[in-house]
Amino acid sequence: MSNAADTPSFVSSSRTRRRAVVAGTVCLVLGTAACGGSGSAGADATAQSHGAISIWYSNNAQEVTWGKQVVAAWNAAHPTEKVSAQEIPSGKSSEEVIGAAITAGTEPCLIYNTSPASVPTFQQQGGLVPLDTFSDGAAYIEARAGTADSQFVSPDGNYYQMPWKSNPVMIFYNKKVFKSAGISTTAPPLGSYAEFLATAKKIVSSGAAKYAIYPAPSSEFYQSWYDFYPLYAAESDGKQLVVDGKSTFDSDAGRAVAAFWSQLYAENLAGKESYNGDSFADGTAAMAIVGPWAISTYEGKVDWGVVPVPTSAGGGGDTVPTFSDAKNIGMYVSCKNTGTAWDFLKYSTSVAQDGKLLELTGQMPMRKGIETQYAAYFTAHKDYVTFAAEAAHVVEVPNVPNSIEVWQAFRDAWSSSVVFGKTDPATSLTGAATKIDQLVAQ
Amino acid sequence: MTTDDGRAAAREPHPAARWLRLAPLVAGAVLFLFPFYYMVSGSLQTRQDTSLNGVLPHPGNLTLHNYREIGTALNLGRTLVNSGIFTGGVLLATVVFGVLAGYALAQLRFRGRGVLFATMLLLQTIPFQLLIVPLYVLIVRSYGLGDSYLGMIAPFAINSTAVFVFRQYFLQIPAELFDAARIDGASEFRILRSVAIPLVRPALLTAMLLTFIGPWNEFLWPFLVTKQEQMQPLAVALASYISTVAAAATNPIGAILAGACVLAAPAVALFVAFQRHFVSTDLGSGVKG
Amino acid sequence: MTTTVTPAARPATGHTPGSRPRRAVRLSRAVLGRQPIGLLFGAPYALFVAVLFAYPLGLAVWMSFRRYYFTAPGVEVARPFVGLDNYRAVLTDPAVRRSFVNIGLFLVINVPLTVVLALLLATALNAAIPFRSFFRVSYYVPYVTASVAMVGVWLSLFGSGGLVNRLLGSLAPDPSWLINAHWAMPSIALFVTWKQLGFFILLYLAALQNVHKELYEAAEMDGANRWQSFRAVTVPGVRPATTLVTILAIITGANLFTEPYLLTGGGGPNGASASPVLIMYQRGIEQNHPDVASAIGVILVLGVLVVAAVQRLVERD
Repeated sequence: MSNAADTPSFVSSSRTRRRAVVAGTVCLVLGTAACGGSGSAGADATAQSHGAISIWYSNNAQEVTWGKQVVAAWNAAHPTEKVSAQEIPSGKSSEEVIGAAITAGTEPCLIYNTSPASVPTFQQQGGLVPLDTFSDGAAYIEARAGTADSQFVSPDGNYYQMPWKSNPVMIFYNKKVFKSAGISTTAPPLGSYAEFLATAKKIVSSGAAKYAIYPAPSSEFYQSWYDFYPLYAAESDGKQLVVDGKSTFDSDAGRAVAAFWSQLYAENLAGKESYNGDSFADGTAAMAIVGPWAISTYEGKVDWGVVPVPTSAGGGGDTVPTFSDAKNIGMYVSCKNTGTAWDFLKYSTSVAQDGKLLELTGQMPMRKGIETQYAAYFTAHKDYVTFAAEAAHVVEVPNVPNSIEVWQAFRDAWSSSVVFGKTDPATSLTGAATKIDQLVAQ
Repeated sequence: MTTDDGRAAAREPHPAARWLRLAPLVAGAVLFLFPFYYMVSGSLQTRQDTSLNGVLPHPGNLTLHNYREIGTALNLGRTLVNSGIFTGGVLLATVVFGVLAGYALAQLRFRGRGVLFATMLLLQTIPFQLLIVPLYVLIVRSYGLGDSYLGMIAPFAINSTAVFVFRQYFLQIPAELFDAARIDGASEFRILRSVAIPLVRPALLTAMLLTFIGPWNEFLWPFLVTKQEQMQPLAVALASYISTVAAAATNPIGAILAGACVLAAPAVALFVAFQRHFVSTDLGSGVKG
Repeated sequence: MTTTVTPAARPATGHTPGSRPRRAVRLSRAVLGRQPIGLLFGAPYALFVAVLFAYPLGLAVWMSFRRYYFTAPGVEVARPFVGLDNYRAVLTDPAVRRSFVNIGLFLVINVPLTVVLALLLATALNAAIPFRSFFRVSYYVPYVTASVAMVGVWLSLFGSGGLVNRLLGSLAPDPSWLINAHWAMPSIALFVTWKQLGFFILLYLAALQNVHKELYEAAEMDGANRWQSFRAVTVPGVRPATTLVTILAIITGANLFTEPYLLTGGGGPNGASASPVLIMYQRGIEQNHPDVASAIGVILVLGVLVVAAVQRLVERD
């Protein structure tokens, strides 16, 4: 199935280093920069070629609106470098679609819905163009995002993704439910684990809502991003799941988070079944852990308030770290006109377009100082100020080999111990840590 | 039909007992229809109601809003045409080539029959999830069929299950029937056309109905193969409608259920329509075995 | 419909009297079989399989013996032969073993239930009953409806606060059906039986059209009651269809994916309803380890073939 003739030459030449991947030290396309320099004249030509490109964006209504306007604006100004855009599904099937398209060489130049957790896999497939091959690549990324993006550098030192937007997850609470349970709706006691548990019990025992909180209890690898990971980020003061090739969660912080959730499940304060619909929007659960993207979906349904995720001691305030739930932009290797793709990428992440993104989707562009940059927006939309403050303290998924397997291993341990109480949470975490250390070392 | 009724009437003691005998069938039908009813009524609700009360429709909670939304969000005509082409192509190829293969496997002795049969069986045992990526690469890259109806149809073109179904029904016909026709000097193709096919017409209809559902409800494959909205079949359009609109809709479940009802309606209609032909088969009098 | 042949008039024919044995014919028979036209009839299907499935299938088997992952076109990667490593990894993985046990349990519940219910219902629906069309449609409806919707309905019916538990009151299992380690797989098996039954009823209905009415009349004359003639006429009369139904039920059951994926949130609780195809999907497509996934697939296919073969042997006796 190899069809080298159709491929930009820098791709095939970079693969000479492949064995390194198998060995485990991912130096995968570290070669690319080197190979580009090491004689392949085609590389520079490809990097600079301009012309029509295609992009995919996520299919939720707000992002579609944003995508359409950015493409229209670009096309009006660049008649010879037309961008054509399509929607891909967000959620469950988007990784499958991208993975299959990479294998067949039919993926577009840019995908505005690349999950950081999938980047190691796509990179292993040889599907991503390292953005630092562009002369101003690394400089542009770092200038836009400030310091936060060290988390997006791949183990080989390259950028395979443009950090784009984050959705710092926080605790949303339903004011109506809190009121009928007799809990303060302006300063609810949710800061420490003890306070949170007491509040949760009050909600359920008063019958104000069936559950206090209802993160998806299912076994998909990404579900831990919305129960364990934000609380772990807060409790461990911003540690990633894996640091320097070692898992970090088999620790006091990890065990504290697991014990906290175990208690919520054991006392039926959190639901254990797959829920059909949005438990927070329809009032089944009094709280939810989500990012600002959800605000528009709650409009007219829930009178909500928002607080940072709890920690065991409490009192963290707006600077408690949380999970970023970022979506990034990837440039893919079947792209012929990478020059145009890079220009469009910069255009779509410019100050003006980031502002549009914020305005149309409520998601936070990963640009430093958004609160001052878009001060007018935040004055008009007070709801979003908290998220903008949090956006500076977010933790990403670790950029490690076998990333999805790592999360699946974690999720399996989590659901058997914390959700269903079949095994001891602390033992489970230790087991998961051992397994994850092996996966990362591969 | 006539023979059926004649036979049944001769046996039937009296109407009361007959209705009594119907009771389990009625209970079963309720069991089978209830979730479907629940789906339809759920799609008409303004707000989801999971309580016992919610089983019965409440005038205050009824709305066509969920359907109206679909009508405005999707180009129903276009997607229906696409679904029609996709499903129709599969049906045509399955009926023509599947019948030929099924007949050959059942009634003809030729070299390679065992291998073909084993392959057919093997093909069905393989989960689609195992083949999907290589298949996608093959069709899109090697055959260049991305964004085309042919690419959509190709992997489903001849439904192996249908071939199996045809074979089993052709097996059911006594071989002597064919031998008799062969003595008369009829060619195999003629025998197939004028002896075998008329005898298995119900099976043919069955296989068509069974084959229909696969491509009609298929989401992932047409989604992978076609990226242009113009080409998307109804199932794909509805799936993306569900994932985008459901989150923001006032009644997310209502939106999902309405989408499913729209998708199911043509399939049910088709079955109801074919059902008549299926019943009025005159096979009983045809095969005086 | 003019081919009315009575059995008495038909001698047991092993040969066709009109044909003249000539050398060329004999040679072609030896090479191509007695009816070489079968090759022509089977050719389009054979071609379809060869053109579309030979390569993916071969690749799947090949990569189950290699270290393999999908790469972008033109990317050259070493794909070392690893012998049975993938198989060993799969067979020692408790999650995979569990999934095979789960699917075994599923088949034990689903297949007999499907075969028996489908045949009984098809027989009932084939008789002259009032509202026959209505009944047929009602049994067919779950089969045509997209899984996503039916799963949604079942979740609200079988959830802990769902309709079923409300009706059962204190008899409801705790934890509820889909999150109960003992009930999750049987619940799925029942759901699938319910959803697929229309399909199998249709298969039987078609087969019943070819059971000769005279046989029923003969049985009736011998004084057989309904049940006896069902046993003596219907069951043997639809034997090829029973083979078909059993094998197809085994195959579709073994390929179970959508239901644990959607109904029990990815094979929960705690892997109690995970199926081999679900694990295959996680490993192969989500995690890009198609080599391991292929090994699971090959084992699954072999398992299904063995079960189908055993079933045929049993049936023949």
